[in-house]
Amino acid sequence: MQNPYIPYPVELIKIVTEVDTKDIKTFRFAFVNKEDAEKYKYIPGQFGELSIFGKGESPIGIASSPTQPGYVEFTVQKAGVVTSALHEMEEGTRMGLRGPLGNSWPIEFLEGKNIVIVGGGFAFTTLRSLINYMIYGDNRKRFGKITVVYGARNPGLLIYKEELEAWAQRDDIDLNVTVDKGDSTWKGREGFVPTVCREVAPSSENAVTVICGPPIMIRFTLPVFFDLGFSKENIITSLEMRMKCGIGKCGRCNVGSKYVCKDGPVFSLAELDKLTKEY
Amino acid sequence: MEKRLIKKDALTGIIGKIAADTTVYAPVKVEDNVLFKVLEKGDEPLVTLANTKNAPKNFFFPRTEVMLRYTRTTKGMEFSGGEKEAAEAVIFGVRPCDARSFVLLDMLFDQEKYKDPYYIDKRQKTTIVSLACAHPPYATCFCTSVDGQPVSSAGADILLVDLGDQYLAEFITAKGEKLLKYFGDAKADAAADQKKEAIAAQAEKEIKVQIPAKAIKPILDVNFEHPFWDTIYQKCLACGTCTFLCPTCHCFDISDEMKDGDGRRLRNWDSCMFPMFTRETSGHNPRTSQKERWRQRAMHKFKYYVDNFNAIACVGCGRCVMYCPVNIDIRKIVEDISKL
Repeated sequence: MQNPYIPYPVELIKIVTEVDTKDIKTFRFAFVNKEDAEKYKYIPGQFGELSIFGKGESPIGIASSPTQPGYVEFTVQKAGVVTSALHEMEEGTRMGLRGPLGNSWPIEFLEGKNIVIVGGGFAFTTLRSLINYMIYGDNRKRFGKITVVYGARNPGLLIYKEELEAWAQRDDIDLNVTVDKGDSTWKGREGFVPTVCREVAPSSENAVTVICGPPIMIRFTLPVFFDLGFSKENIITSLEMRMKCGIGKCGRCNVGSKYVCKDGPVFSLAELDKLTKEY
Repeated sequence: MEKRLIKKDALTGIIGKIAADTTVYAPVKVEDNVLFKVLEKGDEPLVTLANTKNAPKNFFFPRTEVMLRYTRTTKGMEFSGGEKEAAEAVIFGVRPCDARSFVLLDMLFDQEKYKDPYYIDKRQKTTIVSLACAHPPYATCFCTSVDGQPVSSAGADILLVDLGDQYLAEFITAKGEKLLKYFGDAKADAAADQKKEAIAAQAEKEIKVQIPAKAIKPILDVNFEHPFWDTIYQKCLACGTCTFLCPTCHCFDISDEMKDGDGRRLRNWDSCMFPMFTRETSGHNPRTSQKERWRQRAMHKFKYYVDNFNAIACVGCGRCVMYCPVNIDIRKIVEDISKL
């Protein structure tokens, strides 16, 4: 019996400081044992438990895409005991990784449809995984038009800056990056994510939107998509709750009878409507 | 099914013989409490107890349990293995309500997709000898309201029924049959079966409390926001006694501790009654007051578990009723919900 509580040993092979405030970094891990990399088959939207011995574990969405073999990436904000310890780490350090956990973005459901990705702040991580998955090689043909609206409070807080530039060069993504307020060097768009969504006005025809961001952003973005004609079945999001086990046993991340760790974290708005509003 | 009759005064000797060969946990008086304890030579197991103060869930799901160990090396922390495998054991004197709690916990810990190896290992290696309640011991007993019976073999490997002058021993599972050799060769006859049936029927009648526990699920389905939830929690102290004594409560925390270069990851019982249980790093807490926590407890037992496993997560043992320091009574709560 595979023990789901035992982490795979991983080595931290690369750290990228994503933002000017230096409190959001992307950590790249390689598996110490090659066979573990084979076992760690994930789909965009899933998460892992970053396991630091002596500190604890933290559930974090997987930011890399399965189309990037050889490593797994997590973009983490420094916040609590585990994430603070992680931020202190140097390349070459060994720690643990559990997972992949949870359901995922509904890839099969998304296939053949136009996809509208809406992200705010650093909740963009599993959306980045999804984008990289969809645009990789032949995968691109399986999806229709891809529209991305991504916003941060200011230019210094945008994550994955190099990738954003690379995506902007492609003609098969409609990329709309925005900041709430620009600075002297900012040449791009200014405005809140909901406003930009209204301006971009993606068609709801054969389309699904995948939204991830702070609650306030989601609250004001949803009406925009209702107005554009998106049904609740075609609005997908991901929930966060305090977690420990990640496999539906420890009993703390439930919303109604669903456990966010194993039945989620991804739900459609139609599914969320059936749950209690306790999150 | 193998069945044996044993003389009443022979039972203690039989338990003693099993205890000489393998670890036996049995109810023993410890100061003012009756608790399950490893039976040592000279210990007198209580065969006429009412029930233990603690539920026996800790044998498979200990209050504190090591999940894995690690050591500091020059390359950082090196994981150095999980907990050693459990030893074979026998638990004697489990009441049918508590034995049934194992069936309910199995649903969670032994799911098809995610299996909990710590629980399953101990569960598989432990034989449950259940002691039927010929006379349900407490006024707070309500097992018959939650699919239980005072004379029932659910969750047991061996069931002992007090027939008055002797015990009927029923060997329910193959694991139970392995202990057959200790129980002599007096096979039970049809008369013993009839006597057992009569005792079971009488025991059921002796349970005076009936609550509509099975009827409230559809009411809970539609009353998450009902003002009723504002009425039940005020006196709750958030002490967690109800969840710690509950045979089916299974929520846990995982924490790390280190001393010098060695550390371990532990799982500890946790409780939905505690404010920190759901508090996130950001400070956000989806269950902001004891109201939401009490609603979670009631919903988890009588709705969510039913949604997920088609079973109520309550065995009617009455411990939470007996030991709540402010007399919150789950029976009354169920009764009130049924009238919403």
